[in-house]
Order: sequence, then C-alpha cells, then structure tokens
Amino acid sequence: MKKMLTQLGIEEERVRLDWVSASEGDRFAKIVNEMTEELRQLGPFSGNNGGDNG
Amino acid sequence: MAKPKLALYWAASCGGCDVAVLDTNEKILDIANIADIVFWPIALDFKYHHVEAMEDGSIDLCLFNGAIRSSEQERIAKLLRAKSKVMVAFGACACFGGIPALGNFTNRDDIFQRVYIDIPSNANADGVFPRTLTEVNEGELELPELFDTVSTLAQVVDVEYFVPGCPPPVDIILKVVDLFATGQLPPVGAIIASDKTLCDECERTKEEKKITKIYRPHEIIPDPDRCLLEQGIICCGPATRGGCGLTCIKANMPCRGCFGPPPGVVDQGAALVSAIASIYQGDTDEDVTRMLEEIVDPAGTFYRFGLADSLLKRKRIQKAEKG
Amino acid sequence: MKKISIDPITRLEGHGKIEIFLNDEGDVANAYLQIPELRGFEKFCEGRPVEEMPRIVPRICGV
Repeated sequence: MKKMLTQLGIEEERVRLDWVSASEGDRFAKIVNEMTEELRQLGPFSGNNGGDNG
Repeated sequence: MAKPKLALYWAASCGGCDVAVLDTNEKILDIANIADIVFWPIALDFKYHHVEAMEDGSIDLCLFNGAIRSSEQERIAKLLRAKSKVMVAFGACACFGGIPALGNFTNRDDIFQRVYIDIPSNANADGVFPRTLTEVNEGELELPELFDTVSTLAQVVDVEYFVPGCPPPVDIILKVVDLFATGQLPPVGAIIASDKTLCDECERTKEEKKITKIYRPHEIIPDPDRCLLEQGIICCGPATRGGCGLTCIKANMPCRGCFGPPPGVVDQGAALVSAIASIYQGDTDEDVTRMLEEIVDPAGTFYRFGLADSLLKRKRIQKAEKG
Repeated sequence: MKKISIDPITRLEGHGKIEIFLNDEGDVANAYLQIPELRGFEKFCEGRPVEEMPRIVPRICGV
C-alpha cells in the first residue's frame, strides 16, 4: 500500500499500520500523538497544487 | 419510419474500439441496416460542423470511446452529449481512463519535456512546444489545450451505459446493438458485461490461495491449467469484472483489469492490494521487504486501466508556485 | 484571407485537422496539417515494468 501511495505522490508517513489492543490505552495515545506530530511537520495534504482539470 | 441515428467517436483513443466494431465482420452490414450512422471519423467523412448542425437529441445512440485529456475531446464529448439521446462510454478508456490514464502518473509539462525535447528520436533545436494559438503569415492556427489530467467520459458528461474492455469483445458489441435495436436496454447506469469477477469465469483449477513468492510474468512459464495467482503471478482477476471471454488467461498471461472493477468495488487498485496482501504468506519483516521488492510497479499494475477512475485519480502534482 | 477547415480528417486512424488559406485569387496560399492530440506514452511508460511494454504500447494504435 505504501509503495503504491508513494508512486501516486503521497508521502509514506501519511499512512501507518499498527496493532493496539483495547487494554493498551497508553500505547494508543502515544502512537496517535506521534503520528499527529509527524503529520503536522508534513503539513496539510494538498491534492493537486497547480495542476489543471484535476 | 426513419432509422435510428448512430454516432461513434474517439477521444484519447487508439482506434481499437472502432476496429472492434468493424470486427463484427459481416454483421456490420446488419448494423448499417438497422441504423443510420451519422458520424464516425474512422469510417465516414462527416465533420464536426455536421454534428453542430444536428438538432439536440437527434442522435439516438452515441458510442464514445477514448478518454478525455484535451479541450477538444471535452468539447466534442459535450457536443455529442447534447445531440444524443443515449451516450455509451465504449471501451476501457471512456469507462475508466484506460491506458492513456497512465498519463495521470505525470503531467503536461513533463510529457512535453520528454516528447519534444529529451527524446532522442526528435530533432527540435528551437525547443518548440505545441501552443494553443500560433501566428503564421496567413493568419492564426489553433490547437486544443492538453490537460494535466486524464478523465473518464462520465467525469465530463452524463453517461447512460458502460461497455468495458480493451477493446470490448465482439459478442458484447453485438449484444449492445441487439439490446438497442430491440428496445431492451437495461436500467440507466448499467455496465454491459458480467456481474461477477473474472475469477468466477476462469476455468483454471484453483486449490489454495497461499503464495510465498511473487514472480514477474516472464520469470516462469506458468502452468496453463492452474490459477496464475496461485503460481505467484499477479493477476488482476479477483477485482476485475468478468465477461471478456478470458482472452489473456487463455494466452497464459495474467489479467490486467481492462473490464474495470466488479460490482461493489469502488476502487479497483485498492481492492487488488487487499486481494494480493490477503494471500501472501509472510510472518517476518524480511518476508514483507522481499514481497515489496517482488511487486515491481503496484500502482501501475493495479491501476493499469483505471487510474482516472480511482479515488485518487492521479499522482499528486506539486508544481512550483507561480507568480 | 479566406480559410477552409477540414476538421476532423477522416477514414484513417488518429486525429488531425487541415487549415487551408486562400489568397485573393482563390488559390491556395498555404495549407497546414495539425495533430490535436497527444497521450504521452513516451513519458508514462517510464517506471512501468519492461515485460509489460508488449501489453501497453499496442494501445498506441488499435488498428
């Protein structure tokens, strides 16, 4: 999936796969915070910057 | 009673769909008997101004093949839509974008740069690109604008029916003509093919879908009787609509999805990622890394004919800010 | 100058138009053939597996 998304110009950091069980509340919070911070660094996703008819 | 009027047109196309209609062989005479063909550039000498002069809705059936990637293709799509009662997206390009939609991995500037400057087979010392307006001594010449993005027909105009395939097989073409001639057209929005996946139609033996290695089609000689996917060759059958008669499978080559997604699947490529991932046996990180190396061009393989029809539609364009 | 447009040219594979400019005597001063299409195979084949080329490039021309 990541390889395909990279081919389509989407940074692989925008997709993350993790397994968290219902009893791992702290770990869930940690992962979400980490990803949120990464995404903040990447900035908002702009679909097409300057392309026409897209 | 006047014969119904039929029009055929090609946008970003290869002509294969028009040839497919001609492949009906002697039955083309039946088609010509049933209908008045009022526009068909590959075969008849009608011009755009003839179409412009027609009354709106006076064309009974328009078979439109080819994807939309220029202002002229968009204009003629809209013109034919206005003049036609029924518009059919004919062939994989009009339905899903087709091979031309692989252009959505790139953009106009990069295409121009490659085709007119970088390519070794072109001598273009002045670095001329096509322009929409060119002044010559005698006056002005116009060319349509080429878009960055390839669209399907339905993304540009309303479409009543879809006939998939690259090209649509002769039996489906004859079925379309027959349904139209006998007034038995299905509900609007129908895709005129099977309602099942290719796997359902495939006659190869299927045992267990568990693979530990993926082969590129040239790396092995597949057993012609066994499921290709089970032999480790990526086949798009699981997420492709059936009805094609298994042309590629019978040639011992894997399906590449030219009939588009099956009913219920919105994004063909995503469905294929899911299908392949679900049969690949791998427990370790090494397995996953190896698998990724073995699938050489996932986006181009899983969206071979349908990039324009996918949820993302195209590769993200990031142009430098202008002005 | 009077201009005659033949658009589209027909009964061949591909898209084209011809613009013919006539001078005051009604003779052809110049004629231009234009190809109003480009799909970009030369570019979008880059990055595709080589063994897929025989399945992609025949779609340049279906005739």
